[in-house]
Amino acid sequence: MISALRTFYRGENSWDILGVSRKVLVGSAVAVLICVVALFVRGLNLGIEFEGGSVWEIPIPASAQDADGDAASGSAADGLTTDDIAAAAADAGVPDARVQLVTVTGSENIFRVRGVLGPDVSAVEVNAALASAADVDVESLSTRQVSPSFGDEVAGKARRALVVFFVLIALYLWFRFEWKMSVGALVAVVHDIVLTVGAYALFGFEVTPATVVAFLTIMGYSLYDTIVVFDRVKSNERSLPARSHFTYAALANVSLNQVLTRSVNTSITSVLPVLSMLIVGAGFLGAGTLSEFATALLIGLLAGSYSSIFVAMPTVAWLKGYEPGWAAAQVAADAAGRHDSMEAATQALAAENYTRSAPPRPRKPRRSRNQRRR
Amino acid sequence: MRRSQIVSLLLAVIIGFGSLVGVIVAGWVPVLGVQLQGGVEVLLRPTAPADDEQLDRAIEIIRSRVDALGVAEPDITRQGNQVVVQLPGVKDKQRAVDLVGQTAELRFRPVLLTFNPFDEVDFSGAQQLAEAYNGSLHPESVDESDSGAAEDELVGEQEMTAQELLELIDPEAAAELDAESADAAAVDDTSETAGATDDAEAEEIDPSDIGSEQILDFTAPEDDLADWAVLLPGRGEPVGYVLGPAELTGEAVSEAAATFNNEWVVNVDLTDEGAVGFDQIAARYFGQQVAIVLDGVVESAPVIRAAEFGGTAVISGTFDEEGARDLAVALRFGALPVVFEQDDVRTVSATLGEGTLRAGVVAGIVGLIIVGIYMLVYYRLLGIVAVASLAISGSILWSLISWLGESRGLALTLAGTTGIIVSIGVQVDSNIVYYERIKEEVRRGRAIRSAADASFRGAFSTIVWADLASLIGAGVLYQLTSGTVRGFALYLGLATLIDLAVSYFFMRPLVVFIARKLVNEEPRRLGVLGGTDDAATAAAVTGGAT
Repeated sequence: MISALRTFYRGENSWDILGVSRKVLVGSAVAVLICVVALFVRGLNLGIEFEGGSVWEIPIPASAQDADGDAASGSAADGLTTDDIAAAAADAGVPDARVQLVTVTGSENIFRVRGVLGPDVSAVEVNAALASAADVDVESLSTRQVSPSFGDEVAGKARRALVVFFVLIALYLWFRFEWKMSVGALVAVVHDIVLTVGAYALFGFEVTPATVVAFLTIMGYSLYDTIVVFDRVKSNERSLPARSHFTYAALANVSLNQVLTRSVNTSITSVLPVLSMLIVGAGFLGAGTLSEFATALLIGLLAGSYSSIFVAMPTVAWLKGYEPGWAAAQVAADAAGRHDSMEAATQALAAENYTRSAPPRPRKPRRSRNQRRR
Repeated sequence: MRRSQIVSLLLAVIIGFGSLVGVIVAGWVPVLGVQLQGGVEVLLRPTAPADDEQLDRAIEIIRSRVDALGVAEPDITRQGNQVVVQLPGVKDKQRAVDLVGQTAELRFRPVLLTFNPFDEVDFSGAQQLAEAYNGSLHPESVDESDSGAAEDELVGEQEMTAQELLELIDPEAAAELDAESADAAAVDDTSETAGATDDAEAEEIDPSDIGSEQILDFTAPEDDLADWAVLLPGRGEPVGYVLGPAELTGEAVSEAAATFNNEWVVNVDLTDEGAVGFDQIAARYFGQQVAIVLDGVVESAPVIRAAEFGGTAVISGTFDEEGARDLAVALRFGALPVVFEQDDVRTVSATLGEGTLRAGVVAGIVGLIIVGIYMLVYYRLLGIVAVASLAISGSILWSLISWLGESRGLALTLAGTTGIIVSIGVQVDSNIVYYERIKEEVRRGRAIRSAADASFRGAFSTIVWADLASLIGAGVLYQLTSGTVRGFALYLGLATLIDLAVSYFFMRPLVVFIARKLVNEEPRRLGVLGGTDDAATAAAVTGGAT
């Protein structure tokens, strides 16, 4: 393990990442399957922004709280329980309200009441009733009322934006690289989104617009990572002479090894602020929205870094394997008994890059033209 | 190091920190959104289809109502056919929600008295008249009015300052007064007000005599009830009105248009029912003024010159084209008021907002510090560049957010904050992409000073292509969504653009500088382990493959 890290830090790694990915992908497939099943069986816990309804957040000062702070049992101030609050809500005209004690911090707890206003019940009355039940000032309540039709619209807009986004990104990658890479990148992004959304279904986290933002961020990161990997593969492919001493898989492997340090470091530096958001922001200071957001981000970021290496690239390599040129290279490699032509690729690339960068002013365009003529 | 690089490095530092200093000196700070400082956020959707003119008018009405609440940075925008009202920091949240949701009604009210609103004696006289009138209209309320609290119900207090009234009368003069009063200089010519009605009672006023913060107790929006006498300001003229209960509403109007016939006039067509009602008013108030009131402001108060109108009326006066058109729009709006449904109402308590803000800020700072430490440990001298890039990007972003808040009233939302925290990752990644390329070249045996220069092109191309994907995403989201997601897209897009600029104009020259002056060809200083001479590097290259 230590030696692997050392190799890695020195940039001397040349691991068979594609080979590993075949084994890892089994795990990936299982995880995706679980998530899809969870999604269908449990469904998503949609926030009021999508379903309509009302939410009240009632802060309970810690001073009024039991010394042992038995938050787990759902009670806070002076033995005030979630049931008490639910009863008060029902009296005020919000039947079947769901009450949670959500945030437990140094300074205060928050009762979160979610329900639907009964007919002819004004939100103002409920505000007052809940505030008096919890013995706090009305102004300290945070509330939200969303009409049901609005949620449909929000969800519709998000869906449409997502489709447009996917189409544009696919076209962009096609234009910049090739369509097989569009496929690879989208497979990776879908993989990440399914895992993240699946985690939400599994754990029953509430999906809010903040969560949607998190999903979008994840997609952005995942694509960004994938593009960095593809960019390297493409530039390696261009700088190689058209000699089929090795397979596309080998080329991909070498490229993956080259960008691995970048990928790992980027993942670490992206995850650190999110972890800080999760632990410092949400854990110690207690901001519900932040913690929900950070959880989704964390899952998605890890999935994104993983998928750019282990999902996107293998997909592309698999598709490329069917191209006549690369297929022939594969056949040749198999015939020679070299299932892994990575070594040849590494050396060819190292030699090529070495000579290319050795002269003080490399003139890339002319050189590549010469190569094509050869 | 080329001269252009030195210039770009210096410029980046000057622009980055200069803008920050400028913003701080100007006293600009980011405007915090509702979720970060508490307040009210309401999303309104018209229940019936409304055209642009109507929606704009409705927004104007909501804006003037909100002014009564004394919110520092109200943000009222149209997104498609929806209206988003954001009132960060508003004190009386319930009142704000009610006011925003109220439907504006056009009312015809008889004028009982006109007065100079800048004269305190006149004003209190007018107040007494309105109170006495209401006392006779609603005797049941007089019993309670012994207590001070009930008196508010007779004539509520709208905390309109003289400055705000001036803005209603003559926006240009008000702006002038605002500027001049800052200089504490007296002006005489600010009272050129556009006379709009045939009422000549408008006195010459000298606004410089009055403190612009003087409080004027006009009737508050929620007390502007149809069957009570009210005290209202006029639009475009320095006149206050005491008005009797409404005789007719905008429903009486079927169409109104501004036309030019030697002078600008407004032609009003009335509905069949409206014509009957209007003729009744005309008979009763012949020769007197009847005010056309839209949502607490007297749009015009023409004198009734005929006893019978028969379904059409012409309002003439000293209108200019704009004044006539505005009045016609007001009348049309009154005929078919936009009724809003409150799709999403959110109130956030100040303490919750502050808690979220504190959590976000602390999390952001801690995250930055940890990332900085990681970069320093891993990339050594280059880590300094990473930290400096973050500092430059951060100060540019801060300046930009402050400027947007100051000039556009654009608030920094919670989603925006998370977009920024996310962009830390993007910025740092640009550094990592570049550094890894340098390290690769150095491992291959290239001299560090030349590696720093040569690696940039490939690295920057990667950065541009990857950032472009982020920008596409941000653009699509900004265009096609609203609310939370939109705020996120905006700040992510901004941060990505800043990342591109900082990478090119700051990171590159600084890395080149460090590579030339500080590294002294010792790869260890960049966190590159392995041989320092070519033989060792070559061994590493082939060694990795065996």
